[in-house]
Amino acid sequence: MTDSRGAEISIRGLEKSFGLLKAVDNVSIDIPSGEFLALLGPSGSGKSTVLMMLAGFEVPTGGCVLIDGVDCTRLPPQKRNIGMVFQHYSLFPHLSVADNVAFPLKMRGMGRAERRRRAGEALEVVRLGGYGDRMPSQLSGGQRQRVALARAIVYEPRLLLMDEPLSALDKNLREEMQLEIKRLHSELGITVVFVTHDQGEALTMADRIAILRGGRIQQMSPARELYERPANLFAAGFIGEMNMIPAAWDGGAMMLGQSDRITPPPGAFVTTPANGRATLAIRPERVQVGAADAPGSVGATLAEVVYAGAGTLVIARLDDGTELRARVPSAGLPRLSPGERIGLTLPPEALLVYAEESAA
Amino acid sequence: MTRPGFFQPNGRQLSSAGILLLMAPFFMLIGFAFLYPLLSLLSLSVTEPEPGLSNYVRILDNPLYFKVLLRTLWIAVLVSVLALLMAFPVAMAMVGSSGPMAVFITACVLLPFWSSVLVRTAAWAVLLQRNGIVNDLLQVVGITSEPIRLLYTQGAVVVAMTHVLLPFMVLPIYGALRNIPPDYDRAAAICGAGPLRRFAEVTLPLALPGVLGGVILVFLTALGYFITPALLGSPKEMMIATLISQQLREFLDWPFAAALVGVLTLFVTAITLIFSKVFRFDRMLGGQL
Repeated sequence: MTDSRGAEISIRGLEKSFGLLKAVDNVSIDIPSGEFLALLGPSGSGKSTVLMMLAGFEVPTGGCVLIDGVDCTRLPPQKRNIGMVFQHYSLFPHLSVADNVAFPLKMRGMGRAERRRRAGEALEVVRLGGYGDRMPSQLSGGQRQRVALARAIVYEPRLLLMDEPLSALDKNLREEMQLEIKRLHSELGITVVFVTHDQGEALTMADRIAILRGGRIQQMSPARELYERPANLFAAGFIGEMNMIPAAWDGGAMMLGQSDRITPPPGAFVTTPANGRATLAIRPERVQVGAADAPGSVGATLAEVVYAGAGTLVIARLDDGTELRARVPSAGLPRLSPGERIGLTLPPEALLVYAEESAA
Repeated sequence: MTRPGFFQPNGRQLSSAGILLLMAPFFMLIGFAFLYPLLSLLSLSVTEPEPGLSNYVRILDNPLYFKVLLRTLWIAVLVSVLALLMAFPVAMAMVGSSGPMAVFITACVLLPFWSSVLVRTAAWAVLLQRNGIVNDLLQVVGITSEPIRLLYTQGAVVVAMTHVLLPFMVLPIYGALRNIPPDYDRAAAICGAGPLRRFAEVTLPLALPGVLGGVILVFLTALGYFITPALLGSPKEMMIATLISQQLREFLDWPFAAALVGVLTLFVTAITLIFSKVFRFDRMLGGQL
């Protein structure tokens, strides 16, 4: 027994071109043993292509993949000893659940009795003990995905790949499976690379998240850092809700709207703008709503109030027309009506400044 | 939970009256042009020259007729196996190709449908004749030193029938292969299966319904095949369809020919039933693909 069960992955300068299109462009990631890494991005961002090259289904046009220090860039998938769960389960329809789970063991030349025993154990791990004799078509979507998971871990691989494995499930089942996969990850100590386009899923499950766009990594950080300090405007807009306010920057203060001056603390500068235009970003839940003449607040006109139970969404416009959203607790919120003048307080510690100008 | 497929209704079920209406022209044609002649032939076989099974006894009594029956079965099996061996790689290539290549392969497979069976059979007669291209080739390569008899042999019949019936094997297999999601192959690969094991453990079992469909089509068609054996086969090594035609046209023995038709029909029916009982197509597909 080794003390760590997870493989160490090193992806270096990985590239993949399809004709003129560069699907993956100079991606480098070092994944320590036992880490749960999520590749997050919109469709066409190259996240799946990175996974396909990790699995060996695609050969990179540049760069290399090391698994536990061994160069696997050109190794065919059947020789990599990797577990993988596919988006549509991909259980073999002509084999029983037990035979599906035992399939990788059969390919490794294990005897029939031992195969059945190990498959039974793997089914216990995913809480499907006793389902071995059923056919995949007799199972629900969630059960099928558990069987796929059992098949992927039955031969104790050191690396588990997951290609949007929960996207075919409905919401409740998806949340249940998220916790289930997290539990398995901590129990087995296996290294996991998980592809998803669902930011909530990535934030919930992963130790670290890599955001991809256009084949390039935009940011790679732990969930909390990703949310609280996005590295650029794309990451800021992709994860959660973000107010992005175009502002004039004179080297010392930012001008919002007509007359409001804000001096962000030094820590707020994610990238340092040159004199001229910049973007001020703040999460809606950090914005406070108060009276129009509250000291230090930014004047705005209320556009809309959307009550949603515990929280209320307040949509306001600054004097130059920029829309700003605030999510505030419903309790204690005074009666507000559209058209009213209000004051928005932007706490200095919640401010983020980007040199780029937002598209809006 | 299961998606609509070959054997699953997709929710647009017709009333029985509607189904009957749609099927009416087909049923009328079958009844008029197939069932009626078949039944009158069969009744002829047990009523002429005298009521009873004398015609059938005659088939069993004469080892010559029994041999024709066995030979017909043997040739049909041979043609099915050869067609299967040739068709499977072609179907795989069709599924695995795209763009102009896919169009080209499909055209090659369907090309035979653009010419009549007669033309294709005659082409084989030209190829296989004494001073035909096949004999020339055999001598050039040095396998034979003088022209040998290729035409009017069982071999000629088998080769030509395989060629003629090949599309009926390719198309069902192609259909089955195309329905297999590519992820199954990837799943098998990541589970540790090399290309040969992926074929044996996943592709082949999932293509089996198509294989069986193709085998049934080719085998049953081969059993009753007439033109090719008549043109390319040896008169001494007849198949049952040629024998029936000979009884009808040369000896004008309608009742005996009818009895032979009865035996052929019995075989075809029995084999179809056995196939569908042994390989439960509906279960094998199970709406899963």
